[in-house]
Amino acid sequence: MDQSAPIFGFNAARESLVRDVVERVVDSSQDPLFYLNDAAYNEIKRLESSRKKKDVERLGEWQRLARSIGRMSQAERVEKLRELATDYGWDVAGNFNPRVYKLSTKVLPGLVTGLLAPRTLATLAQNPRELVSLDALSDKVKVEGPIEKLQKLCNRGVMVYVPTHLSNMDSIVFGYALERAGLPPATYGAGKNLFTNPILSFFMHNLGAYRVDRRLRHALYKDVLKAYSCVLLERGYHSLFFPGGTRSRSGGIERRLKLGLVGSALEAYARSVRAGRERRVFFVPSTINYVITLEAETLIRDYLSETGKSRYIIEDDESSRLGRMVAFIRKLLGMEGAVVIRFGEPMDPFGNSVDDNGDSYDRRGRKVDPSRYVRDASGNAVVDPARDAQYTRELGEEITKAYVRETVILSTHVVAAACFARLRKAAPRPDLFTVLRQRDTLTIPRDELAADVRNLKDQLVEKEKRGEVVCSEFVRAASGGDLIEHALRAFNGYHETPVLVPRREGIAVFDPELLFYYQNRLVPYGFAWDAIGYGPTAVKPSAPNAAAPSLGGAR
Amino acid sequence: MTLKVGVVGGGPWGIALARAVARTGADVTMHTRREAKDGRLIKITQRYEDIGRCQLIVLAVPSNVVREVARGIGDHLDGSHLIVHGIRGLAPIDMHLPGETPADKADALHTVSDVLREETPVRRLGALGGPVQADELHHGTASALVVGSHYPEVTSAVTRAFNGPWLRVYSTHDLKGLELSSAMVGCMAVGVGFAKESGAGPGLLAALISRAVHDAGRLAVIAGAEEPTIYGLGGYGDLLSSIALDKRPEVIFGRALAQGKSVGAAVEAATLRVEAVALIPRLVAFARAHSVQAPAFEGLARMLEGHKPEEILGKFFQG
Repeated sequence: MDQSAPIFGFNAARESLVRDVVERVVDSSQDPLFYLNDAAYNEIKRLESSRKKKDVERLGEWQRLARSIGRMSQAERVEKLRELATDYGWDVAGNFNPRVYKLSTKVLPGLVTGLLAPRTLATLAQNPRELVSLDALSDKVKVEGPIEKLQKLCNRGVMVYVPTHLSNMDSIVFGYALERAGLPPATYGAGKNLFTNPILSFFMHNLGAYRVDRRLRHALYKDVLKAYSCVLLERGYHSLFFPGGTRSRSGGIERRLKLGLVGSALEAYARSVRAGRERRVFFVPSTINYVITLEAETLIRDYLSETGKSRYIIEDDESSRLGRMVAFIRKLLGMEGAVVIRFGEPMDPFGNSVDDNGDSYDRRGRKVDPSRYVRDASGNAVVDPARDAQYTRELGEEITKAYVRETVILSTHVVAAACFARLRKAAPRPDLFTVLRQRDTLTIPRDELAADVRNLKDQLVEKEKRGEVVCSEFVRAASGGDLIEHALRAFNGYHETPVLVPRREGIAVFDPELLFYYQNRLVPYGFAWDAIGYGPTAVKPSAPNAAAPSLGGAR
Repeated sequence: MTLKVGVVGGGPWGIALARAVARTGADVTMHTRREAKDGRLIKITQRYEDIGRCQLIVLAVPSNVVREVARGIGDHLDGSHLIVHGIRGLAPIDMHLPGETPADKADALHTVSDVLREETPVRRLGALGGPVQADELHHGTASALVVGSHYPEVTSAVTRAFNGPWLRVYSTHDLKGLELSSAMVGCMAVGVGFAKESGAGPGLLAALISRAVHDAGRLAVIAGAEEPTIYGLGGYGDLLSSIALDKRPEVIFGRALAQGKSVGAAVEAATLRVEAVALIPRLVAFARAHSVQAPAFEGLARMLEGHKPEEILGKFFQG
């Protein structure tokens, strides 16, 4: 594959990159006093409650700084700011090791397959060439979308992938999808907590991930992060952001996005136009669809629990337990089309569609010059944060619409929605929490459920014809009964409690919470109960996502 | 450098806006299909490409032709242009945006700026509203205008184009709120004419108006706007001016209805297009679809249906 993407020379460029970031942050800070005070205030607040020795030391340093900021001269403040920005810059800077990249994308899938399925391993031992083949995964993990177009576009500008976010597996899975699609790797910001997760960090550490410490809430850190992302894009590094901010707790498709990093891509474009060397930016809304989600249990319980609002960093979920991880991968490898990564149609930073050559077209199909959007009336390119924040908001709306169009519906979503609708009808009261308490109170006769599933599926297929959603190949072709069997197979054996239990009288509903999680995927289409506040008229029980940290000020 | 402003629409409102801009010294071109009258300060054109040469474009056409006009000028515009419209209606009812979820689709109140977003490559959009009346703009008597836009560049261009010793430009970032306010005030002005003609005293008139504004605020929030906008210049401010202004087409229309005229005859009496005729039933449907109480708008709908004042008032007081 093409090894000319800038990421292959990343390590050499790292020092100058961090230097650029620091310069930019220091230059743009008109008020160092505010920056320092804000950082000190937030850090002291965060560290005060910690008992860890390291944190106590840090707390002392911040308290000393807080006391002395007022007495410092302006030059001293700028110096201190530079020092902090440099520390944060290096903390954020990731690493990219082409050797590890090759190993993990080429060998690991085969290796994982082998390790998890002893019989395959025996065959592989006789024919080691298959070990380095990606084909082992190809029928389990589907990669679809306008791939040839994206391949062309990568040479005409910088790609910004903005997928939906369900699982900590996402960045690995997406990295694999890029490789499979013949697209160069992308850098991304991964939560710093993930680097301490022994399983994930092995995959991520050297795959071009930079570190995002979500505990740090102050403006200085956020600006370093945004500047870092912006500088990477200006230098042509393809990037991956999860605009949902955190994994979807409800299992639903994201509607409210955190746009800080998306905004940095817009800024990178405006800066490139201003500098007279326009580098086009192509946003690729994408969806990552799992027949079952690794962390479904933790996530939905977090969504439903009161503490959901504060626990935006979950340190100990399924992704940190090796046994669960192995069970999950084993499950996925046992099912065809268990994961579907779908790239959507690319768009420019202003929501215009883009053709193979990277030219932009408005909704009426007129060819437009994207650089005109960052120019004023006299044709001068300007970087205007207020204007760009609004462009970013509008782009965010386009991305959420694309999510709805490009989501791939799998058997578990349809079956969960059908069961949950029945459960809601059968519940003594129709409010969410009453319905969720109905554990093993309802058994649905198979033929009735099959008819419901069939009906739902037919409507989804109709919608698909209008380009409003995508159904997996299996969903499209299967009968109601087949879909139920497929979903049963997916649910059972991985989740700790069975979601649905087949009995002689029919299908027993065992875990309403997980059903709720999987049915939520269908909410935007009007085929599932909207208890997650997706639609404008829905009554919100709570909105855990709203409390997650924003990486940028744009909202 | 002088700002180049293009006004599209040669009706009384378009001419008034063009004259107001010309008064501040900006370079004004007006697109009109009618015979050109005012050729000294305002350049008159019948070609859209001349509008494309302007930086700020002001749209003053009726809402039923806005899509067609926007598509026409859209061919001559690009991402660097700024467009504001001064249309007191909403987008044509058949409008559905691509990718809308079913929940959005339920009688969504799309605005004219949504149409402009669809039909032109321009993103930096805004709307004009507020208490200023065509006559005041026309003759340069002191008044206040409101611009709504998410883009500071639009706000500052409109300020440059219109602000002067006799016209103060206020701004809001709540574009949708301003568009809905202008549209809903147009409807309420019909009620003002109707109530006045039916002999309502100042106390009753004030009560009706306050209740109506309250309804409007609820509807605006459901439609995605901010409630305070309706209580500001673009809402209450605009409505107060229509109480005082007997010549406003909506007020004339309302009076005619109270005299027992049919909707058709009342429209004729108003001489200018009354957006409220189509809007009122739409707002009522919207309120019902979202289970929001809007007794004042239900009352307005009854006016259009030819009910008697006492009957309407009786229903209204029951609610």
